Amino acid sequence: MAGVKDLKKKIKVTKSTFKITSAMKLVSAAKLSRAQHAISSSRPYNNELETTIRTVSALVQNYNHSYLTSKENDESNKKYGLLLVVSSDKGLCGSFNSQLAKEVRKFLKRSELEYKVFFIGKKVKELIEKEVNTGKHYKFSKGVPSFNDVKNISEELALMFDGGEVSEVNVAYNEFKSAILFFPKVKKVLPMSMSLTQKEELKSKFPFDFKYEPSPKEILDTLIPEAYYSSVYTCVLDATAAEHGSRMNAMDSASKNCKEAIKTLTIKMNKIRQAAITTELIEVVSGAESLNS
Amino acid sequence: MNFFTVDILTPSKIVAKSIPAESLIVSTSRGQINILPEHTHLVSQLDTGAVTIFGGADDPDRSFTVTKGVCRVLEKKVVILTEVSEEDKMINLERAKMALENAEKRLKSDNLSQDERIKFRRKAERATLRIQIYNEAKKA
Repeated sequence: MAGVKDLKKKIKVTKSTFKITSAMKLVSAAKLSRAQHAISSSRPYNNELETTIRTVSALVQNYNHSYLTSKENDESNKKYGLLLVVSSDKGLCGSFNSQLAKEVRKFLKRSELEYKVFFIGKKVKELIEKEVNTGKHYKFSKGVPSFNDVKNISEELALMFDGGEVSEVNVAYNEFKSAILFFPKVKKVLPMSMSLTQKEELKSKFPFDFKYEPSPKEILDTLIPEAYYSSVYTCVLDATAAEHGSRMNAMDSASKNCKEAIKTLTIKMNKIRQAAITTELIEVVSGAESLNS
Repeated sequence: MNFFTVDILTPSKIVAKSIPAESLIVSTSRGQINILPEHTHLVSQLDTGAVTIFGGADDPDRSFTVTKGVCRVLEKKVVILTEVSEEDKMINLERAKMALENAEKRLKSDNLSQDERIKFRRKAERATLRIQIYNEAKKA
C-alpha cells in the first residue's frame, strides 16, 4: 500500500526532527543557565558602580562630563542619532528577532531624529536593512561578545558621540525577564542622565561628606565611561539570555508539536494498515467460501 | 572586634562577597592605604596592585590582584569595583609568566603605537603583580 509507505516515511522524518528540536532545547537550556549566571554576576557590579557615581556626583558641585551633557549638532547639519540593535546570529528562536525588529521600526517612526542603525547579530539586520540607514555590523570571533569586545564597540560609539557626529546613542535589545519572558526595549545610553530629584534624594540619604582621593572630578572621569560600558554590556548580556530563553521555548513547543504529529500519523497509518488487512482477509475468506460452495 | 565587610566586584564575576575583615590594605593611585574599622567615608581610585584582607582571629587572611578601579568605604562596608580581579589561589603561574614574557618581547620591538605601548605595559604590570602575589602566597 502506497499510503502506508508514505506515512512511514513521514513518521521517520518527524521523529528525526523531534530528535533535533529536543537536542536544541537541551543545548539552549544549558546556555541559558550560563547566560543567567553571567547576568547575575554582573548586576551587583553595575548597581554598585551606579550608586558610587550617583553619590559622588550628587555631592560634587558643578561637575560636567561630556557623556552627561546632550550634544546639539550644528544647525546646518542634519540631526543624527545612533541605534545599536542587539539581535541573534541564529534563527529558530521564536519571535525573538521579529519582535525586536517591530520595536525598532516603532522607535524609528516615533522619533524625530534621523537614525544610523548599527548591528550586533545578523537576524534583525536581514529583516530591516532595506528600510533603515544601515551602519556597521559587528561580528565576534567567539560568537558571544566578551566585556572587552563590548567595551571596544562602546568606545567607538562614544567617540562618535563626543565628536558631535551623533547626538545620542541608543541600544535596542530584548530585556530578559525570565526563561519564558522577554521584552523588546530601546534604552538610551548616551547622554547619561540624572534627574534633579534623584540628586536631592541622594543628598538627603548621604548627609555626610566623603573623602576623595584623588579629586572627585578625576574619579568621575574614570567612573563614568566605565558605567557607560557596563550599561551597554548588561544590554548585550540581557539579549543573550533572552535569546537562549526564547530558543528553549520555541524548541520546547516544536518538540511537543512533533510528538503530537507522530502520534496522529501513527494512528492514521495503523488505521490504513488495519483496513488493508481486513480487506485482504475478506478476500481470502470469500474466495475460500466460493470454492466450497 | 569591630569588623567590616569587603566586596570585590568585576563586570563578569563576583570575586568576593561580604568577606569579614579586620583591616584591609589597598593600593590607590597615590600609594597604599590601610583601612581599619570606623574609617572615614572614602571614595578612592585604585591602581593595579594587591588587595590584602586581614580577617583577624576568626577568619583567614586573603589577598587578591586588582587592576584599576575604584574603592568605596561606607560605614561597615567596603566595595571594590575593578575590571579584573583574582584571588592568589586562583593564579595560574605559568600563564602569568608567559604573559609577562610576551608583553616584554612586544615592548622591546620598535614599531608600537602609543596606545599599544600603554596596553603592553599594563599587561606586563599585571603579570608581574600576579607572579609576585603568587610567590607571596606560597611563602605564607
